[in-house]
Amino acid sequence: MPAPEPQPKTPRSGLMTLAIAGAALLAIAGGAAFYYASQHAAGQADTTDQFRVAVSATACEPNEITVPGGKRSFEIVNTSERPIEWEILDGVMVVAERENIAPGFKQTLTAQLRPGDYEITCGLLSNPRGILHVTESEEARTAASTVGLRNFLGPLSEYKVYLVQQGMAAVAASEELAAAIKAGNLPKAQELWVAARLPYKRVEPVAYRLSDLENAIDPVADYLEKREADPAFTGFHRLEYGLFLQETTEGLAPVADELVADMSELKSRLGKLKLDPALLMAIPGDMARQLSDGKIKAGEDHYAHTDLDDFAANFEGIAKITRLLQVVVEPVDPALEKEIETKLTAVETKLSELSGPEGYPSYESVDEAERASLSKAFQELADVLDRLDQVIGVS
Amino acid sequence: MNFTRHLRAGALAFALSTTALTGAMAQDASLDLVEPLAQYKIYVAENTAELVKDTEAFVKAIKDGDVEKAKELFAPTRTSYEAVEPIAELFSDLDVSIDARADDYEKGEEDPTFTGFHRLEYGLWEEGSTEGLDEYADQLMEDVKELNSRINELTFPPETVVGGAAALMEEVAATKISGEEDRYSRTDLWDFKANFDGAYKIFDLLKPVLEEKDSEEFLKTVQGNFDDVYEVLEEYETDEGGYVSYTKLSDEDRNLLSTKVNTLAEDLSTLRGKLGLG
Repeated sequence: MPAPEPQPKTPRSGLMTLAIAGAALLAIAGGAAFYYASQHAAGQADTTDQFRVAVSATACEPNEITVPGGKRSFEIVNTSERPIEWEILDGVMVVAERENIAPGFKQTLTAQLRPGDYEITCGLLSNPRGILHVTESEEARTAASTVGLRNFLGPLSEYKVYLVQQGMAAVAASEELAAAIKAGNLPKAQELWVAARLPYKRVEPVAYRLSDLENAIDPVADYLEKREADPAFTGFHRLEYGLFLQETTEGLAPVADELVADMSELKSRLGKLKLDPALLMAIPGDMARQLSDGKIKAGEDHYAHTDLDDFAANFEGIAKITRLLQVVVEPVDPALEKEIETKLTAVETKLSELSGPEGYPSYESVDEAERASLSKAFQELADVLDRLDQVIGVS
Repeated sequence: MNFTRHLRAGALAFALSTTALTGAMAQDASLDLVEPLAQYKIYVAENTAELVKDTEAFVKAIKDGDVEKAKELFAPTRTSYEAVEPIAELFSDLDVSIDARADDYEKGEEDPTFTGFHRLEYGLWEEGSTEGLDEYADQLMEDVKELNSRINELTFPPETVVGGAAALMEEVAATKISGEEDRYSRTDLWDFKANFDGAYKIFDLLKPVLEEKDSEEFLKTVQGNFDDVYEVLEEYETDEGGYVSYTKLSDEDRNLLSTKVNTLAEDLSTLRGKLGLG
């Protein structure tokens, strides 16, 4: 195993570190290749050569292969009497495959392999699988540390799907809320009010950037000149004011309809939103800081006191992105990935400690010390998320 | 709205073109792929949700001992599975338990680990009975539910999605045209239609990105070949919207399908390179 490298702090020093470590690794890899060559038959060790695998009626030959990480070629020879397919499996996922190799024929398969252990299929499903060990190599490390746009395509598209799903859920939930209000069902409306906020809160980091909608959907009376009497007091908190403080659904129907319309607009804008890597990396940290800087201290659900439900949904949104980014961060800076996961878990733990048998308690019952402690957990998460941009600097 | 103003300076040093690309046609991956990839994920999720729903009815018919009903539901239930086959390599274990053929097992149909759709197909058509199928039906139900929940949790690698259209067409050409898939029920044409739909979906979603890359001729050719295979299939459609038995497919049409599918496989295999995902 190569010695761990110091974490690169800037793109520049990162490059240097990589270059130096690379040179050292090359020497190690050279030595390893020589050792490997001396231990195995010629033709199986040189990285530029093909690794030959014969698949008989019952097994792969050899059944255990060791190759250095990077782009590797395999020559698969079907010595059985049936057509076969040959696959390299990482868990349940196929890393690479060749289908329909006729009896007596051979085919070549080339794959980019990251270090680790893989399984190889050997003909019939009932045949035992072989093992492919892929060892550390300079080539594999270079490939892993190169962060390009394509590394972000998976996380970006997955987050896009999330935005679309939450947008749809936000519309559906606000419609249900509006229906309960129009039916004059106060307890039902109160319950649905809490639920209707959740999809919105999950995508709030993005909704924040749509400031006109944000101002219609979620303004807090504190920031309006005439407070609750202000005509600009609309959206969720206006409904909350009626449902929880005045304890009536009267007069709320138009406000609820407006909320439904705004949610539909939000859904459509989320659907059209162009995401990019910088945005994806900035959102979770910004959101965590927003919570730690102000929201947690004061709260914003002044009449319902359901702030903890809001925070938990906010956190889900933060965690969603952060965990999607794992595939980008992990290969480049595994230490940072671990730290992020630790801080995420810390917030999760804090939130679940605050949760009672009936869900989250009224925010009024959460004292200053507990608020400070939750705030600190979010702040530490924000701090470690701020380092994400360094990861992208490495290349 | 200007989103970029919220970004911290210094976060933009992307290595947008550092990946070594081979071939003169190779391009860099583009952010334009995000939208098609997201849409494709939604398409797959809709299909697996539909699969769960349809499988429930299929399984119920089997457990009710209603052979006719089960036979009727077999092919339409499979279509939403066959439509997501381009990315089957993301769930190879479930692909085996849901859709493996008897040939993949040492003892063929008698192999106790032979499960899924084709085991049920064997029971319904070859043995003409639902007897002994309950456990396979339960297993199938469990597997498609697992598939559905796994899909929702999974980030699709862009290479797999973009490469999936060609991979599936290759498989159709290599194994399915021979009629090996639905050998007991002869409902192969239903599968073909769903396979073409699944592969076409990927191509269709990528069109706007490909258009920008000046591949007009390529787009026309691929579209033309899809049109041709759809046209062949149309001749074998029944009034109820299903398909006639695979044995009714003329040799001429089989050859035509084979040629077209091979060409599609070849053309679609260039997508990854064209889109910077080689």
